[in-house]
Amino acid sequence: MSDAPAAVAELEGRFGADAFTVQETRSGFPTLWTSRDNLPAFLKFLKTEVPRPFGTLYDLTAIDERFRQKRDGQPESDFTVLYHLLSYERNEDLCIKVPLSDGDAALPTATGLWPSANWYEREVWDMFGVRFDGHPALRRILMPLTWEGHPLRKEHPARATEMGPFQLPDERQEREQEALRFRPEDWGMKRTREGTDFMFLNVGPQHPGTHGVIRIILQLDGEEIVDCLPEIGFHHRGAEKMGERQSWHSFIPYTDRIDYLGGVMNNLAYVLSVEQLVGMDIPDRAQVIRVMMCELFRIASHLVWYGTFAQDVGSLSAVFYTFNDRERIFDIVQAVCGGRMHPSWFRIGGVAHDLPKGWQAMVRDFVNYMPDRLAEYDKIVMQNRIFKARTQGIGAYTAEEAIDWGVTGPGLRACGYEWDFRKKRPYSGYDQFDFDVPIARKGDCYDRALVRVEEIRQSLRIIDQCLKNMPAGHYKSDHPLATPPRKERTMHDIETLINHFLSVSWGPVIPAGESFVGIEATKGNNGYRLVSDGGTIPYRVRIRTPSFAHMQMIPLMSRGVMVPDLLAILGSIDFVLADIDR
Amino acid sequence: MTLIYYLAAAVAVISTAMVITRSNAVHALLYMIVSLLSLALIFFTLGAPFVAALEVIIYAGAIVVLFVFVIMMLNLGAEATARERRWLQPKAWIGPAILTAILFAEFLVVVATEPAATGAPAGVGVKRVGAALYGRYVLGVELAAMLLLAGLVGAFHLGRRVPSGDEEDES
Amino acid sequence: MTDVLLQVAVILGVLNAPLILAALLIWLERRFLALLQDRYGPNRVGPLGLGIVLADMIKIFTKEDWVPPFADRAVFTLAPAVIVITGLMSVAVIPITETIGVTDLNIGLLFFLAMSSMGVYSVVLAGWASNNKYALLGGLRASAQMVSYEVFMGLSLMGVVLMAGSFSLRDIVAAQQDIWFIVPQFLGFVIFFIAGLAETHRLPFDLPEAEAELVAGFHSEYSGMKFGMFFVGEYVGVTVIAAMIVTLFFGGWMGPVLPGIVWFGLKLLFFILIFILLRAALPRPRFDQLMAFGWKVLLPLSLLNLVVTAGALLLWKA
Repeated sequence: MSDAPAAVAELEGRFGADAFTVQETRSGFPTLWTSRDNLPAFLKFLKTEVPRPFGTLYDLTAIDERFRQKRDGQPESDFTVLYHLLSYERNEDLCIKVPLSDGDAALPTATGLWPSANWYEREVWDMFGVRFDGHPALRRILMPLTWEGHPLRKEHPARATEMGPFQLPDERQEREQEALRFRPEDWGMKRTREGTDFMFLNVGPQHPGTHGVIRIILQLDGEEIVDCLPEIGFHHRGAEKMGERQSWHSFIPYTDRIDYLGGVMNNLAYVLSVEQLVGMDIPDRAQVIRVMMCELFRIASHLVWYGTFAQDVGSLSAVFYTFNDRERIFDIVQAVCGGRMHPSWFRIGGVAHDLPKGWQAMVRDFVNYMPDRLAEYDKIVMQNRIFKARTQGIGAYTAEEAIDWGVTGPGLRACGYEWDFRKKRPYSGYDQFDFDVPIARKGDCYDRALVRVEEIRQSLRIIDQCLKNMPAGHYKSDHPLATPPRKERTMHDIETLINHFLSVSWGPVIPAGESFVGIEATKGNNGYRLVSDGGTIPYRVRIRTPSFAHMQMIPLMSRGVMVPDLLAILGSIDFVLADIDR
Repeated sequence: MTLIYYLAAAVAVISTAMVITRSNAVHALLYMIVSLLSLALIFFTLGAPFVAALEVIIYAGAIVVLFVFVIMMLNLGAEATARERRWLQPKAWIGPAILTAILFAEFLVVVATEPAATGAPAGVGVKRVGAALYGRYVLGVELAAMLLLAGLVGAFHLGRRVPSGDEEDES
Repeated sequence: MTDVLLQVAVILGVLNAPLILAALLIWLERRFLALLQDRYGPNRVGPLGLGIVLADMIKIFTKEDWVPPFADRAVFTLAPAVIVITGLMSVAVIPITETIGVTDLNIGLLFFLAMSSMGVYSVVLAGWASNNKYALLGGLRASAQMVSYEVFMGLSLMGVVLMAGSFSLRDIVAAQQDIWFIVPQFLGFVIFFIAGLAETHRLPFDLPEAEAELVAGFHSEYSGMKFGMFFVGEYVGVTVIAAMIVTLFFGGWMGPVLPGIVWFGLKLLFFILIFILLRAALPRPRFDQLMAFGWKVLLPLSLLNLVVTAGALLLWKA
């Protein structure tokens, strides 16, 4: 983010100063408004023509602006579609917004520039009803095909009680089931080739190999996958919609359930984004506690992945070992947070409590215990010859493809592209820690595994440093918007008491504005884009999740491989269904 | 032993008839397995256990499995069964059946008029089979081996994918 | 008269033993696997959790035996019976001690191979009759895998046959009086062991039922006692392969001090535990890798073993 205006200057040089306006946000990178007519040329310029281009379409979403009050200086708009571009070479973000009117909500597609735009545009269509002309298959992605309305529009009801009782008479059930029937023609797939019939196989929504409710439709020639089509949305709970009716504080537990293996890691992305809106400084102790808990959860998540990945290629035992180790992490988490998988423990301005007595011993035990176990897993999993035969050379992609498709995290680093948000854009004081960013070369299933295994070791290093250098001080900020506010002084002066009362009963009032923070989460880059209208609840919560982008790549990775390889690929990208569907 | 022989022979005849008349290919193959097993039993009762075992291992255990394999690959559905049933009209089988019946009648006449072969054959052990195959009939065995090898090479050649067609396939 | 009664008792005993053994193996496998995987396994019902055997039986006998409406009913019912029948028929030729054993067929080994090749039908027909795509894929894998590995299985045993000069299993055990065949026929043993794993489609070669890929493969649609038959059939298969290993390579009932039946039982248990251990330890190769390994490694090796054994025997006898 060092030379943020460079891209703006380049755009000005190419299109003139009238082509766009700049919006002030808290996110730390430029947000530009342009018109629908300018958009294709803008995107093309940024993707292909500008030196050191914006290779990744990091996020594409929309905002229903119709009920928003504090939009001073922004162009007239009912629906704003937002393109969040990322350039790794510049280490720079750029946000482009396009205003659309309700009656004519349509845009040209960006799928020609970024293949990853496909699902993002479908999601915007599904959620907001914004059409994308020229999109290859613009249909609902998260909601059932039979759904009426577009959920993230403000007029769409947010809870079931606003919608009338749910009934499922026979004919409706039949209609719903018929809508789920897969017709290859709808997706441009052929049923036969040179006289051989393809077999179409539904993997999921209920299947032991998919780790959750997802449906992958395979077009098979024998056991060879000719093409495949992931279908998501079975786990969609409308977390973004829920965000629009929860107070800033009470949304924290919902974030735990996004990447449900990441625990407080999700809290971190959210509270950092809220803190960015407020401009709050966090005490050092709170920062280090956060880092330590996040890294513990990174290990916990990677351990689940390690075991289940081994199980996906048929190795039965590793999963029991890694889950036992994960249990040790949960013991620590339980002692610190009270909760286990979803502790919802971070707060706006810090964390919920101070660390308990004796936490050092627990963490130290774990840090000393884990390396031997990892060495053992190396022997039974990573060095096993059958395991290697099953994963090496399978599901490989290049760094260019990864950037094109919006891959982040270990999946990107496995292609030899050294990029870790903790290093490149240190947040929460990660720049104070000494750790390496493991990379691998080939970008296949095995290399993705290698990177993750090494990440566990690096996380242990970080935790060890937290243990040895835990600063003294407060676990929560003094800032008046820290929630719940620190209570020590409430009984002494009335100002603090009133502030505390309001903050606890209504929740904090966050100043109007827009923010975005992305962090290196367990599965890749997780980011929260928050729009505040100056109230006690967010106006819009956008959750950018890594698994969504990764899942979209499945067809690219699995064409031409066999059915068992698909399971190896699914295991290696380490996705969580809730992280895809939100 | 004679009773077992006749029982097995009856099973063989009936199951073979079922093979012909089943319209479902897998059911037909199941009867074929039964037929082969009963043949194996006949060999056994005739004192040729080695041939009996080979009958089961090679014919029933390997070749018919490949038939089933192919039928599974083709994934024949109900329509294939219906088509078989249509084809199995009397006018389709009456001609060959009459001709076969004539041959069978001739065979009965010959068996009835010729003097019966004397006694049950002595048991033929593995050693004797081996000695015969690699002694007296070694040329035949070698020729058969050559033929099988040629078949193997031919099958490999036919089964190979033609690379030129692959570009289209990616569509 | 008592001779006949004794004979009948032995036959019934030997044929029932694998069924009881199979039930016990369920317990053994679950406890041993649990031990290897840092967990307890079934330990609630009865001493050492042995009551789980009874509980499992009650469960499987009383569960609804559902035949899917889209299945081929006759074949669907036939398939699970085949695996148990062929398994038990194989047991018939295994000599447990000098005196105990159902029959001493002069082509015992061939009979075993024939039964094991018939066992393929169980899996293949189950896969076909279920009329389910996963089951079909499982059936296809099973037919290719088992037909191929039968070849190596048969060939790997020819060395033993050459050395013993007989297909009779009892003769083969007797021929190991001086030295167990594991020593001169080590290669044959390794190939037979691998092929035996593939024949019983146990992990690491459980491709026909690979859970993560094919749900439950060929028996996805089975429930109740029909599923129970596959379950029992699998354990009978494991027992038979282990018993064959003991008979062919480890001197059958022979051993010092202890009576033959104890030796046979101990050796059998050892190899069954090895089977379970492998299940805990190894991942599953891909289908084409398994086939390539068979045809490109095991076939040449087993042929080499055969040729070298034959040559050595000729030299030695000359």
